Amino acid sequence: MAATSASVSAAGEAPLLNQRNLWCFGIAYYCVYYLIVRWYEGVYGWSAGLDAFAPEFNTYWMPILKIEVPLEFATASFIASYLWKTRTRDFSTVSNREILRRHFHHFVWLVAYANAVYWGASYFTEQDGTWHQTIVRDTDFTPSHIIEFYMTYPIYICTGIGCFMYSYTRLPYFAKGVSLPYLLVVVGPFMIFPNVGLNEWGHTFWWMEELFVAPLHYGFVFFGWFSLGILGLFAQIFDDLTGLIGKDVCPDV
Amino acid sequence: MSSTQSAVRSHAEAVQVSRTIDYLGLFILFFVILGGFHVHAMLTMGDWDFWSDWKDRRLWVTVTPIMLVTFPAAVQAIVWEHFRIGFGATLCCIALVLGEWINRYFNFWGWTYFPINIVFPAILTPGAILLDGVLILTNSYLATAVFGATAFALVFYPCNWVIIAGLHMPVEYHGILMSIADISGYHYVRTGTPEYIRMIEKGTLRTFGKDVAPVSAFFSAFVCILIYFIWHFIGRWYGTTKFLQQT
Repeated sequence: MAATSASVSAAGEAPLLNQRNLWCFGIAYYCVYYLIVRWYEGVYGWSAGLDAFAPEFNTYWMPILKIEVPLEFATASFIASYLWKTRTRDFSTVSNREILRRHFHHFVWLVAYANAVYWGASYFTEQDGTWHQTIVRDTDFTPSHIIEFYMTYPIYICTGIGCFMYSYTRLPYFAKGVSLPYLLVVVGPFMIFPNVGLNEWGHTFWWMEELFVAPLHYGFVFFGWFSLGILGLFAQIFDDLTGLIGKDVCPDV
Repeated sequence: MSSTQSAVRSHAEAVQVSRTIDYLGLFILFFVILGGFHVHAMLTMGDWDFWSDWKDRRLWVTVTPIMLVTFPAAVQAIVWEHFRIGFGATLCCIALVLGEWINRYFNFWGWTYFPINIVFPAILTPGAILLDGVLILTNSYLATAVFGATAFALVFYPCNWVIIAGLHMPVEYHGILMSIADISGYHYVRTGTPEYIRMIEKGTLRTFGKDVAPVSAFFSAFVCILIYFIWHFIGRWYGTTKFLQQT
């Protein structure tokens, strides 16, 4: 990867892959942020998160919920609006090399999405299982839910919207229409968030046992399957890349 | 620049670009599949995987392979055909097990203080390697479904035996016959502890005693063959390269 950057930097132009974006935005930003969140859970989950009717719950947990939700809506709107406003309107003026550079930017977005999906769908979702097997839930907005449902899910949704909009507005291959697998891989995990409504309604309407495999949770499973859209998306990306890396320099293509 | 001219300037740079994209692609595939597969796994067979007192000879052995042959079948359908990657099933299972182990250590143990020997995840990788091995050797999805999916289910219990055997040792506790896993579970009370929630050893098959696990494994293997076929086509559907509108 370093060689990729160095070889083109020597020519006095921006590198194909911006390493700083990859490591800072794609990897470090999410990891550092979620490690801080996990530390906060560890400290204030036990000291202030056991009783939703206690004053300290309102001090340490509810403000997070009240701040994060509007912030996430604003962030998603800003990302989508900015990428649309600054879209490429005439692809005929864009060189193949610039398109390849944009593919690398797109990969950085996808690395960030993969990172965000991991923290949201894997780390904080299974964590929810052990918290609710330990602490009797007395609210929809438990410490685990405030982080899992209303923080990590919207964050990967915002990142997914960014990925999709970047490709749709910057890459000619994806600007020619709406990619079905891309739509699946972004909209499916997005629909997990609205499914939270069913989940919370079910938990309050029925006397639910703490059973992770309960049918009430199957909506999450169904929309989780949509992550397999990444397979079709990769087939599309590599189809475009094959055309960009031409036979004149790489006969193996 | 001409639209037919290459975006790279030399063969060497083409190789560098290609390798870089491979690494980035693998990272993305690994963690996106991890997220989707983990949600699927924890909400369809999670309770059996979370707790050692749920890891019985019957339902754990039956449910886990059936639910976990799904994503490997779907991923194999695309990565083998489009990219000639022969480790689709292994990638899925390693991703899942990594996600589970991180969770069990940092959350089940690190946040709610359950001992690791109560919350360890099941071992899945040997079955996944067999599934990939059959596909690579036969280049046939039919053979992979029939032999690979069967092997995936049949090796599940033997592979986990080394880690579960000690916990299945019988003990008499207050005049009641239990296993070590049962006693551990009762000492670590959970909100889902009531015995009617814990779905283990149900039905009359347990009266057969020693034959429970093999019978369950073979039943699981049979269903895995069917599930493999279904998820192969689900994978193909998700692997579509269609656009919704052409302009």
